[in-house]
Amino acid sequence: MPAEPFMNAVALENPVFRSYVVVLLGLLIVAGALIALLRFGLRRNVDHAWKAYRGWLIIIPMVFAALFFGRATTIAFFTLLALSAFSEFARATGLYHDWWMTGVVLLGIAAVGVVSYVDAPDGGPHGWYGMLMALPVYVTAAILMIPILRDRAKGQLQPVALALLGFIYMGWMFGHLAFLANARNAYGYLLYLLIAVPLCDIAAFTFGKLLGRHKLRPNISPNKTWEGAIGAFAVSMALPWLVRFSFPELGTRELLLAGVIVGIGGQLGDLSISLIKRDIGIKDMGALLEGHGGILDRVDSLIYVAPLFFHMVRYFHGL
Amino acid sequence: MDSWRYEPTADFDKTPIERLKDFPRHPDLLIYTARLVVNLAVRAVLRLWTRLEIVGRENLPREGSFILVANHSSHLDAPAILSALPLRMIHRAFPAAASDYFFTNLPKLLFSAVVVNAMPFDRKENPRQSLALCRQLLDAPGHILILFPEGTRTPDGTMAPFKPGIGFLVAGSTFPVVPCYLSGAFRAWPKGRWLPRPHKVKLLIGPQLQFQDLRPERDHAVAIADRLYQAVIAIQTADGRRRTADTRG
Repeated sequence: MPAEPFMNAVALENPVFRSYVVVLLGLLIVAGALIALLRFGLRRNVDHAWKAYRGWLIIIPMVFAALFFGRATTIAFFTLLALSAFSEFARATGLYHDWWMTGVVLLGIAAVGVVSYVDAPDGGPHGWYGMLMALPVYVTAAILMIPILRDRAKGQLQPVALALLGFIYMGWMFGHLAFLANARNAYGYLLYLLIAVPLCDIAAFTFGKLLGRHKLRPNISPNKTWEGAIGAFAVSMALPWLVRFSFPELGTRELLLAGVIVGIGGQLGDLSISLIKRDIGIKDMGALLEGHGGILDRVDSLIYVAPLFFHMVRYFHGL
Repeated sequence: MDSWRYEPTADFDKTPIERLKDFPRHPDLLIYTARLVVNLAVRAVLRLWTRLEIVGRENLPREGSFILVANHSSHLDAPAILSALPLRMIHRAFPAAASDYFFTNLPKLLFSAVVVNAMPFDRKENPRQSLALCRQLLDAPGHILILFPEGTRTPDGTMAPFKPGIGFLVAGSTFPVVPCYLSGAFRAWPKGRWLPRPHKVKLLIGPQLQFQDLRPERDHAVAIADRLYQAVIAIQTADGRRRTADTRG
């Protein structure tokens, strides 16, 4: 792709973008037909699947619209997602009661968005990569300043630790996804991740339902099974080859790693958020979309996978 | 070692829209920030576009809960009255707004819940319950209730009689009631127009009244409503006289 590849005028001419529009439309139609078949043909109860499907009918066009309008909207979209994901985390853990902590983390996440958008002062490709990597230093320093300015020690370690996890995980790690909009092959990487990660989830669910016998991690997420996990891993390993058109520049080693990152990382990301929910004692992180729970319940795997994929591609290939 | 204690916010499992519809509202960092920013902008616009002038700020009680009562002629009324209050008070000032009008679609909901911090008032089905909610709000210290006892915006610029609900609310209580008169708001933004015209708006704040000797009964309530109506009219007349004197002098 050319130097300023990520514009709405370019999106429709981009073969990767176009292919994914077709692929997603196809998947939606097939999934819709399957649900209709189960409902009307086999008279099964499909309420849950139908709710989730309706959610996808909202999510998918939104993501495509953000990508279609270019680099700025894509970065803004993922930054808003990260801000909302952190807000859910803060509400669920109770960190939200502490407005200074919450405010500093929200500003930190907004800063991730800003450094993803601006150019580095010394030139180079879009996005200020050096500052993105340095941000955790500044945000950690700012978070630790809050109890010091208040001159309060009792009970301060919990909000400090929650704010740090909130920023690093939901803000900074997730923010790598926004930064991918600066890549030469932004469409390929973003669309691959956005489709591979939910597919891994769906595969785990399906294989678990069909073959599940042995519980994967009964204390964290009692419904997940080893059979589902292995099935999801297998699907995720195959996918990079199936959608090889997304990134012709990547070799076998990178494709293998992409499969491992999504196949294992996606499930670890899911379990990471389950672990937080389990410890707090709640079922969903929020209630934004019926059938999907909160934003964090939807993007849990993506948070874990995005930065790993980002650094893998950057290390072997450069963005 | 003690284990951590998580205290999820009371509204963590609600959608953002449900959160906006909730009342009383939970304090929310983002909403407070947005309200502060928008109100600053609204104040600037009111000053520049409608040349808002506020007279009688010294009549506002310094502390404790109180009620502001005004004539109602436009959507500018609540923002204009909020502009008379110090910025830090806007999160504790609640203009009562018709729940059948202001809480029905997303733009109106955003305006009511975020910008003016409105209290949904059910003027049709259950006004009694809404009055109980008003009382509950006033019982918390430092809350300000803004009421338009005409019950709706004037269709023609004239003031309609006050409904007795306000009387039931304040009869026998020590809450001060501050009558206000808004002039020019009808010309600036009459019912049915999309956007306000640049016409001068003036907010006159009168001296406070109290009704602790009266009882929450029908005739007393009607009397209170009428007293307040007369108080607003008196502010209007006094202003009219002053203005005539100004032009003569």
